[in-house]
Amino acid sequence: MSEPTPILTTEKLVMQFGGVTAVDHVDFSLNPGELRCLLGPNGAGKSTFFKCLTGQLKPTSGTIRLNGQDITGWETHAIVNLGVGIKTQVPNLFDGLSAYENIRMAARRRHLKPMAKERAEEMLEKCGITHLARREVGLLAHGQRQLVELATVLAPAPALVLLDEPAAGMTGAERDRLADLVLETARRAAVVVVEHDMAFIRRIAKFTTVFNRGAIFREAMIGDIMTDRAVQEIYLGKQADVAA
Amino acid sequence: METSLHRDAGFWVMIAIGLALLVAGPLVWDLFQIMQITQYVVLSVYVLSLSYIWGFGGILSFGQAAFFGLGAYTFSVASINMGETTFPFLLAFGLPALFGAALGYFMFYGKLSDVYMGVVTMVVTLIFWKLINHTAGPEYAIGDARLGGFNGIPSVPVLNVPGKPEAWLDPGQMFQVFMAILVILYIVLRTLIASDFGRVSLGIRENETRAALLGYDVRRHKVIVFAIGAGIAGMAGGMWATYQTFVDPNVFSLEMSAKALIWTMAGGVGTLAGPIIAVVVLQYLSLKLGEMHVLNNNFILGGIMMVLVLLVPKGGLPTLRDALVALKARTPAALQR
Repeated sequence: MSEPTPILTTEKLVMQFGGVTAVDHVDFSLNPGELRCLLGPNGAGKSTFFKCLTGQLKPTSGTIRLNGQDITGWETHAIVNLGVGIKTQVPNLFDGLSAYENIRMAARRRHLKPMAKERAEEMLEKCGITHLARREVGLLAHGQRQLVELATVLAPAPALVLLDEPAAGMTGAERDRLADLVLETARRAAVVVVEHDMAFIRRIAKFTTVFNRGAIFREAMIGDIMTDRAVQEIYLGKQADVAA
Repeated sequence: METSLHRDAGFWVMIAIGLALLVAGPLVWDLFQIMQITQYVVLSVYVLSLSYIWGFGGILSFGQAAFFGLGAYTFSVASINMGETTFPFLLAFGLPALFGAALGYFMFYGKLSDVYMGVVTMVVTLIFWKLINHTAGPEYAIGDARLGGFNGIPSVPVLNVPGKPEAWLDPGQMFQVFMAILVILYIVLRTLIASDFGRVSLGIRENETRAALLGYDVRRHKVIVFAIGAGIAGMAGGMWATYQTFVDPNVFSLEMSAKALIWTMAGGVGTLAGPIIAVVVLQYLSLKLGEMHVLNNNFILGGIMMVLVLLVPKGGLPTLRDALVALKARTPAALQR
């Protein structure tokens, strides 16, 4: 069997802020339908790398390709319109609008009016937030906001989903639901998850990329990562011992 | 918030009031009252230009007077040269809208922050004001129209019936035309705000990042909203010029920009009806205060403004609406006792 064409690649991606190199010559590749977790200690460059992928930052050098197309330096909305769903670290929502309206507007970008309505209702149910539909999202708890944002990300049915710390601030039950949602999404789309929460990672992770000091430190199956001494030293430390 | 437009009682009430005034006004008011109320109508059109872009697009402009003045001068110069007013009136919308699109392009594609946007819009207004004040000499003329510097342009034509340059509107008719424009503008803006385009504007107002993350081009969208606001302000300027049959550089004054902000704030950001009511109330008040000659007019208005900001920061109409909702919620409990 031949290698599948990757949906997302970066070549020698570099992002510098003044004298600091936050992302240092990263070669990354993601296959269609793959679920990939990005791990790494604070300041490892995960989020900067993520922001380069989403167009929120313009990389200093290197290229990013989506389905073979060079998207380096594109505006966020243009990248999104190629079929990418993005969830940011701090939930970005239309605070003054209802949860339903937030999700409907996400669906409306890709669907006609009646379809968008249907799709929004479907997403509310799938994410278990139907009871929040009419609530103003600015007034919701952090974990609830995370779920609303996830629903807005998934509503247009993107082919590539980028999630930055989706489990942050969630209760155990919300986290479990999120894990199921991510696994289900991964059946139809490629998914990249940046996450700290080890309990969450263990539920969803397969092939995993570990960042350290702006570069890729290891890429391996999560089981091997967890037992990798060097990885434990840079990052996992006690958390890994507890999880194991 | 998400009730559809045709089920919103306030929408129909506003239209009904507008139409009733349009029909009955000229029958019951004397000439002076008609002139006075026509002024409120023109300024209402003007305030809607800011209420729309600020309340429903999140764009705070300190320079609506730039477009207002540009519309006033465009109408004056064009109508003097052409000897009729229909095309100049359209131009009073079109030219400021184009200028707004160009200015908006540099501001939004240049990703200026809100503060700098405020500064730029204000400075543009000042530049216009300075520039037009220095056009007193006879060499400053566009066709037959001398710009006249600080003296302004006298004898700006009165609006005529389209296609009949000799058929000038009398004050009653002019009031009716302007009132019709206001009603139509109100309907158009409410429809626009309720449309998907308007929903995206609201989204951008709430969170630009999320709007971009959903695939909406925030910059382009803001340029369009800003240009629409500029066009409306320009149209109001054209109405102002023909209403006064005179235009001078004060249409570009910072006071003119500030008034739009004050009316919008007093009436309530995020409503259209509120700022219109604020125009009528505050203009009437400043007229009456001016007649009394007791205290400086601006001093009292400034005082009123401070009280409004401190006591009703949300603005008049939203505060009233909240009070009504609170009252409704309390009534059943009171009845049970």
